[in-house]
Amino acid sequence: MQIELQDLNMTYPNGKQALQHLNLALKAPSLIGLLGPNGAGKSTLMKLLVAALMPTGGAILVDGQPLAKTEHMLKSKLGYLPQDFGLFDELTVAQFLDYMAALKGLHDSKKTIQEVIRAVNLEEKAKAKIRTLSGGQRQRVGIAQALLGNPPFLIFDEPTVGLDPEERIHFRNLFSRTAQDRLVLLSTHIIEDVQSVCNQIVVIDHGKVLFTGTPEKLIQTAVGHVGAFWERDAKQEQGLHITARVNTSQGIRCRAVADRLPTYAKVEEPSLEDAYLYLISREAAQ
Amino acid sequence: MKTLCLFPLELRRLFQSRLTWLIVGLTVLSPAVGLILYKPATASTMLSMYLANPAIAGGVVGGILFGLLSVFESDRATRSRVDVLIDAAVSPLTMALVRLLALLAASVVTVAVTMLVWLPISAGLIGSVFGGVDYILAYLLLMGLSLPMSILAAASAYQFTRRVDLSLVLFAAFAALSLTVWADDWQLCWLNPCVWALSDDFSNFRIFRSVAWMRLTWLVALAGVWTVSYLCIRQYGKGVFGSLTRNVRRVYRPIIALALLVCSGTAYAAQPLVDSSNPDQMAMTFYEIPYVEGVVCTGRSAQVFPDTSVGSVTGTASYQFQNTSDQEQNVAFGINPGYTISNVQANGVNVPFSVSDYQEYNEAMLEVTIPAVEQVELTMEYSGFPQESYNMSTMQGSTEISSEYLCLENSVLSPRLMNVLPGENGYPTTIEITLPEVMTAIPFNSSEAEVIAENEDGTKTWRYEANSAGGILYAGDYVREDIEAGGITIEFYYGRKHQAVMESAGAVDAVKSVVDYCTEHYGLLSFGTGETLKLIQSRVAGGGYATDGASLLDEADFTADNLGDASKGGGAGEVMIHELVHQWWGLGNMFDTSDPTSPWSAEGLTVYTTYRIVKELYGEDYAREHYVNQWQQAVDDYYLDFYVRNPDYLANLPEDKQLEITGNLTYVRQYCEMPLKILKAEQLVGGEESMDQILNSLFNWELDPMYPYLTYQEFLDACGLTEEDLSLD
Repeated sequence: MQIELQDLNMTYPNGKQALQHLNLALKAPSLIGLLGPNGAGKSTLMKLLVAALMPTGGAILVDGQPLAKTEHMLKSKLGYLPQDFGLFDELTVAQFLDYMAALKGLHDSKKTIQEVIRAVNLEEKAKAKIRTLSGGQRQRVGIAQALLGNPPFLIFDEPTVGLDPEERIHFRNLFSRTAQDRLVLLSTHIIEDVQSVCNQIVVIDHGKVLFTGTPEKLIQTAVGHVGAFWERDAKQEQGLHITARVNTSQGIRCRAVADRLPTYAKVEEPSLEDAYLYLISREAAQ
Repeated sequence: MKTLCLFPLELRRLFQSRLTWLIVGLTVLSPAVGLILYKPATASTMLSMYLANPAIAGGVVGGILFGLLSVFESDRATRSRVDVLIDAAVSPLTMALVRLLALLAASVVTVAVTMLVWLPISAGLIGSVFGGVDYILAYLLLMGLSLPMSILAAASAYQFTRRVDLSLVLFAAFAALSLTVWADDWQLCWLNPCVWALSDDFSNFRIFRSVAWMRLTWLVALAGVWTVSYLCIRQYGKGVFGSLTRNVRRVYRPIIALALLVCSGTAYAAQPLVDSSNPDQMAMTFYEIPYVEGVVCTGRSAQVFPDTSVGSVTGTASYQFQNTSDQEQNVAFGINPGYTISNVQANGVNVPFSVSDYQEYNEAMLEVTIPAVEQVELTMEYSGFPQESYNMSTMQGSTEISSEYLCLENSVLSPRLMNVLPGENGYPTTIEITLPEVMTAIPFNSSEAEVIAENEDGTKTWRYEANSAGGILYAGDYVREDIEAGGITIEFYYGRKHQAVMESAGAVDAVKSVVDYCTEHYGLLSFGTGETLKLIQSRVAGGGYATDGASLLDEADFTADNLGDASKGGGAGEVMIHELVHQWWGLGNMFDTSDPTSPWSAEGLTVYTTYRIVKELYGEDYAREHYVNQWQQAVDDYYLDFYVRNPDYLANLPEDKQLEITGNLTYVRQYCEMPLKILKAEQLVGGEESMDQILNSLFNWELDPMYPYLTYQEFLDACGLTEEDLSLD
């Protein structure tokens, strides 16, 4: 499966331009991490990909065909977990998944439902009413419904929010396995999630693509631009973006990104988070 | 296809909701409101009280409840944010259709459960006149269809506005219109159909058809409105107009919406049930047409063929004229506005004719030009579904034509001659009518109908002679009892369904007792022919009336409930006597409309006479215990009543409460206080014999055409007493 975004524009009726001349090619199999600050246009992009919105310019091609013509086909191949969603509280987990399976046109869905319930570790809650579930369990139901029918294209918007660390690791592995033969788009604020599982990264800000490529390539862009220093040595520097402050026995150790590091900073090996922040800060400076 | 696959799932989800079960439960119970609070059918037949009122109330309450459910369910996915998951899988348009189907299916299930729950209750309350077909039709039409209509209206409101509060306001306003401003318009009162009565015994084909027409007109209209709102369902983040522009790209969608709206508009405008009679009830245009000079009618005949399966009539009418004017003349007939006239011939030759667009008193005017020859045989064919008067559109049902009963009055039976005087022998008339085998034809006059042919299709052709320009014919599955009483033969006709009630009330004995007693004490009925008198139980009409040789008894007077009314008599047989005594006291112009502030009405003399007959039948002790003592007790209670002693408090109550209390108090005054006063008058004038002479003179008095009603003062004058003399203090 291949999704191409060609010169994609989206301007809301209130005049807010959410996406500008976006060009991207997403190709299976891959697990693509979508990064960007709040208001960058990530959610708009996802809504466009699930046909909840219609672009004001450009085109989305699904396997070479315009989305407008392949909307039904796309919906049948899509697993989607939005960031903010709800469930029918009066149904049990199994009933809700049965309901969603029917919406997706899955026949003989009993086995599929059992598989996704197992995949999200909800076997014990299968017959429980959704109103009795905790926040994390509800999030797992959301992930389960997206996985129904092994869709070839999956979109997860902040999927690990509300999950405990152990569950997060479980789901990272699950996403990783899932992406072996499919196209998975993962939007998250948790860089750690992206770093551990994504083989491709797309960074957008102000509706524009700032970066596309592998995590390694993104990290590469920040080499020589990440440094550490003691806070007591620091002076007011322009273009220096502190990314972490750590209390140590010798004082506060700061980590920062900058186009040109100050002399008192010791150059450090960049992490993905450093590279992402460097990219965003550079864009903001421009 | 996807819609059908999703439908059972959505229905199952709907029934998982507690709100749905609450709404279903309340709707199933809602017919009880019609037994206690909301009684739009004012007639006192058993089916009106225990079937029409519960079903209409169930429709109103259930409709409102399902409207609320529809709004909340339409907003359900958005409110709980499941819409983002659902919309990613299927189009919101598909889901709207699936949700609508699920709500409609839930309403069907609810109505079916309501019918099952209320079946034994209704059968028990209604008694021997209960009928399965009436029950099913009443619940389907009076209640059932209001639920899907409410669902369509409420779902449309939500789809237009996407806001629960606005949708509820719009739906409430739409329901309120039906319950208030539109309540008296049979085509507009979509939630609470105009049904004033259901007949126990004489079928309800016409009123059910009228309600069905109204319901289907609205159902199609609301389906059209829903389809328009469906086109406004927001998609792709667009507003109402953006979504509409996109959704109409599938051309069949707006075409369906338009077709539905056009169909409903046509159904509204072209309804076949009610005519366009002049709403000014003082208009007398047709009665002011001058008689044509030099033309008389020497005879007429008609062959009438009612089609009882569809309620229509076809017929051939023939008129013999003597035209001595030596010129062509325009002869006018009143025809039912639902009829089409064809094949009008004079002496076998087609003649010009026209039918007026103007209608008055349920008639349109047919004008025919007859040739300038002395003997004219005018024939014409007429056919159609008879319409009822616009001015009586909230009380439809009188022109009933069904396989169980029919009533054909004047121009519904055959075209009524308007502007031609009768010949020397009046209007000699021969009517032939072909009816289903079970029906007995009963002309509403002194003539007797006889069977002249038994046809191969199982029908019978009846013939009777009469002498009038119009005429009324009743037919139905009647039981006929011939009773010799008062020196005449009473032909007592009552509906077969009433047989058990009539037998248990001793109807035949009651007729004999009353006719014997009243004829002896007050004299013969003015409308008797001297040899026979037909007493015909008729479809509920809001009262009885009489003509030469026949008198009509409203079926509402013979219900099990009415016959058990203790204020009218000590038992069913005595209430039967009471109702029959009204033939002497209460028919025609004997009494003016009763004044709620006065005890004087037809009921006083009727209750008193009933007491006298019962006294003669069962002895003085029985009559005193069951009548005089009970009147006295009721009157004593009346004068102790808080509102009687403090009328100012009554005036401060809401109008409907005032009417209810005043009605109950007036009832005591008319049914108990007045008989006591007459009893006192009897003692003051010298006893029963003297009172009988006074009543005899009053019954046979010479009418004053300016005010033909018997007043209290005239009664007092006849007794030689004053109002103070009859004071009960």
